[in-house]
This record gives sequence, C-alpha cells and structure tokens, in this order.
Amino acid sequence: MLTKRQNLIETMKGGNPDRFVNQYEFMNLIMEAPLGEMVGPGQTIKNGWGITFSWPADQLGGFPVHDDEHKVLKDITDWKNQVKAPAVATSDEAWAAAIAHANSVDRNEEYVTAFVAPGIFEMTHHLMSMEDALMALYEEPEDMHDLIDYLVEYELAYAKELINRIHPDCIFHHDDWGSQRSSFVSPEMFEEFFLPAYKKIYGFYKENGVELIVHHSDSYGVNLVPFMIEMGIDIWQGVMTTNNIPELIEKYGKQITFMGGIDSGVVDFPNWTPEIVAEYTEKACQEGGKLYFIPNLTQGLNFSSFPGVYEETSKVIDRLSKEMF
Amino acid sequence: MSKIEEVKAKVEIGKTKLIPGLVQEALDEGSSAADILQAMVDSMSVVGEKFSSGEIFVPEMLIAAKAMAKGVDVLRPLLAGDTSASLGTCIIGTVAGDLHDIGKNLVSMMIESAGFTMVDLGVDVPAERFVEAAKENENVTLIACSGLLTTTMPALKEAVQTIKASGLDVKVIVGGAPVTPEYAAEIGADGFAPDAGSAAVKAKELVA
Repeated sequence: MLTKRQNLIETMKGGNPDRFVNQYEFMNLIMEAPLGEMVGPGQTIKNGWGITFSWPADQLGGFPVHDDEHKVLKDITDWKNQVKAPAVATSDEAWAAAIAHANSVDRNEEYVTAFVAPGIFEMTHHLMSMEDALMALYEEPEDMHDLIDYLVEYELAYAKELINRIHPDCIFHHDDWGSQRSSFVSPEMFEEFFLPAYKKIYGFYKENGVELIVHHSDSYGVNLVPFMIEMGIDIWQGVMTTNNIPELIEKYGKQITFMGGIDSGVVDFPNWTPEIVAEYTEKACQEGGKLYFIPNLTQGLNFSSFPGVYEETSKVIDRLSKEMF
Repeated sequence: MSKIEEVKAKVEIGKTKLIPGLVQEALDEGSSAADILQAMVDSMSVVGEKFSSGEIFVPEMLIAAKAMAKGVDVLRPLLAGDTSASLGTCIIGTVAGDLHDIGKNLVSMMIESAGFTMVDLGVDVPAERFVEAAKENENVTLIACSGLLTTTMPALKEAVQTIKASGLDVKVIVGGAPVTPEYAAEIGADGFAPDAGSAAVKAKELVA
C-alpha cells in the first residue's frame, strides 16, 4: 500500500494510485503558525491591518465590515498613507508551537503544510470593499499595481519566516477568484494584476523547498486555469462542479490536479443526510476518475460547517476506493 | 454620432469621467432629460445581458453603473417631479443573520440602472424592517431580499412571508448563491434572479 504522499504523487502524475486521495489526508496543516488574528464564531475583531471582521453566532463564516466607518482604505490614490502592513512575527515564542507541530510530522507519509490566507486579491477587497477594489482596477490601475506589490512584499516577508521556521513541503493558499458562475475579473485583468503577483509568491516558495502549491478558490475558474498552471499551482482545491471538471481533467490534468467536485453547498447544510453525501460523492468520483482528481468538499479546510459531513464524505470515498480500485 | 448615442456608448464601457460632460452636451443639443435617461437605461440592459452571458465581468458592470449614476446626477434636477421615467421605489437588503453585501450591492446598482429609486437597508435586515421601510417610503413597487448563506435561507423565507402577510401591494424578488427558482416559488416570492443583470430584467417585468 502506498503512503498518503506516494498515493498523491501517483494521482498527480497520472501513474498508479492504489486508492482515491481522500480529501485533505495528505496535508498535515500547521495551523499554529502566527498568521495574524482570525475572527471566530460570534466575534467581531480588528486584525493587524485594521480590517474589522464580524462573524455572527450560528452563521457559517466571518466577513469584513465595509461601512464608511470601518473601511481601512477609503481612497485608493492615498493608499500609502492609509494602508500599513502589520509586523511579521519573528520571535521564537511566536513560532514555537508551529515548529513543534512540524517536527512531529512524518514527512514520508504527509506534507508539512503551511496555511496562508487571505490571498492578494482578497486583501485588496478586504481593505476597501469589493466594489471599490474592482472599480479601482479600472480607474486607478497604477495605484492598484503599487498596492498589490506592497501586499506581495508583505507576503514574501512572511513566507521567508515561515520557510526558515517550519520548512514546509506544501503551501495551502487561499484566494477566492470567482463566484459559482464566473471569475470576478476577466482573464485579461487577472493576467495584468494577479498573475505577476502570484508568480513571485509561488515562485519564491518553490525556490525555497516547497514541493507542492495547493490553491483554494471555491468558485468557477475555468478561464483562469492556464494562469494557475503558469504561476505554479499544483492542485486547485475547491473546484466546483460548475467548472465541468471532467473536461478540465481531460484538457489540463497532466499539468494541474483538481481537488473538489463535491460542492459544499449541496451536502453541508443543517439537514444533511448520509444518503445525500453518498449521492454527490459517488457522482464526483465517477465523473472525476482516478487520475489528476481528488474528491473533496469545496470547503477551504479539512472540516465541514455542520458536524459529521466531512467525516461521512471521507467514509464514502474510502468505500469507493475499495469498489473502484 | 449624436451626443445621446455617445452617452449610450460611453455608459456601456464605463467612462465615468466623460459622462457628466456628454450628458450636458446632449441636453444642449436638445435631447430631453427623459430620453437621455432612457438611453442610459438601455445601455445598462446591454451591460446586464453581457454579464449574464459571461462576456463581461463584475468590474465592467460596476463602472458602467457608476457612469450611469454620474449621468443621473446631471439629470436629477431636470427630472424632479417627472415620475414617467421611474418604475417606483425598490427596497433592498440582505436578510437577518447575513452580512454579505457584494451581490446585493451589485443587484442594487443594476435595478437602479433599470429605472428604480433605491432604498438600501444594508445587511442583516430583520423581516419587519422590510415592511416598515416599504411603509416609510413613497411609491414602493418592489422589495428585493438576498441571502448568501444556506443557514440564512429560513430568514429569507421569513422575510418574504412577513412582507406578503403585511398586505402591502409590492412584488418581492429574491436571490443569492443558494437560492433556486424552486425555493423562491416555495417561499412565495414573486420573482427570482440568478445574477445582477437578470435581476434588473426581472425587476422591470415584475412591476410592468
């Protein structure tokens, strides 16, 4: 039997996996790394960038608050005065728990995986609201380029510390680039603003020993796949069924692996049942097949919003591995 | 190209800085404010169709809507009291428990571009607040409720049913990522739209 790591590699290179890669099993996520304050259920917080996040109790997630009082960036042309990056944590104390966790991982079995979020695109709209960020791409492109460069420099400073401290084998990086039906920006605009940024970031990780880049965007993104490949993404996690995954695998499978195919919205809800999970998981595995595809909920971490859904999905994938391999 | 045609063309491609001057020139050329407004509404219909078909993306829609808003600013003093160009007032908001406003804001801009006066209640709006707002404002013809989270679907249902039970003579349109046409019908909404461009078309249909 292959290790989790070997089985993933066989799946990604079109070799001979002996089972489905089961969701996030290959990623040992080092969530202790000091990434900055994150909002939790029932909380309202202001993070190191000054962005206010609110997460109403009993809801599915937090969201930045963008009324006039709370927007960090009110005028893109004045971003240099209004946006101040927080300091990257560099003390031994701040990194101790992450290092201890990373050292405990059997790297022959699993990838020591650093979690990075939000991404560059998300940061632009967290700072100033989605509407302002998207319009600024048209109205003040030079300032947006400069702001994006600033965000990239911050991430590279964090990446340097991360690499020195835990030597990750894998980066699991979030940046949602679309809705269910469309990318947020056109491919041309993406190529101009975000491709160069990510080539720098993912290039830096790969130059420094990171073997695997997994990018989360639980959205439509067919039109961005060539850029994903160009910037060095190995696995697109969160790929929704609206992307026609079998067609993507056929066209790009040798260059990038697709992880998802089980849309969280249709299985991960208060009245979920094992039958519903089985139906959508079976469909995903049958359509996605054994190579270049990892069946997975589209949620951007290794759990579900409603207790039991993630585990039930894993159980069904295990069963299908026995039946299909 | 006449100035009014130029206004139409430039709104479609979101030339926000040029629009106020062009609208003024169209007025100077003799076009009526109502005709210029209609030209811009027509532009936004084209923008909505292109968005729905995937030809353009959110930024293009946003800057077109902003360009139209700049044009309306020039026309507003001339249109005051002229209700012929208006489809009435639309109350819009994201239902209780939901803080997501990106889709709602975009829908708001597009419905406004179709000729409605918008009253935006923001996010996390209790069901009764939609009813109160409809009573507080004049000529309310439409209420638009959105929800992004599966967990707020019951709040969407409550909002629609509270509005319907109030006896107000308004149409209710719903939308948001987890909302389907079937769910919209099940909870008693008059209309559903899957995206902002379609929302503007459906809004006009509902109050016609």
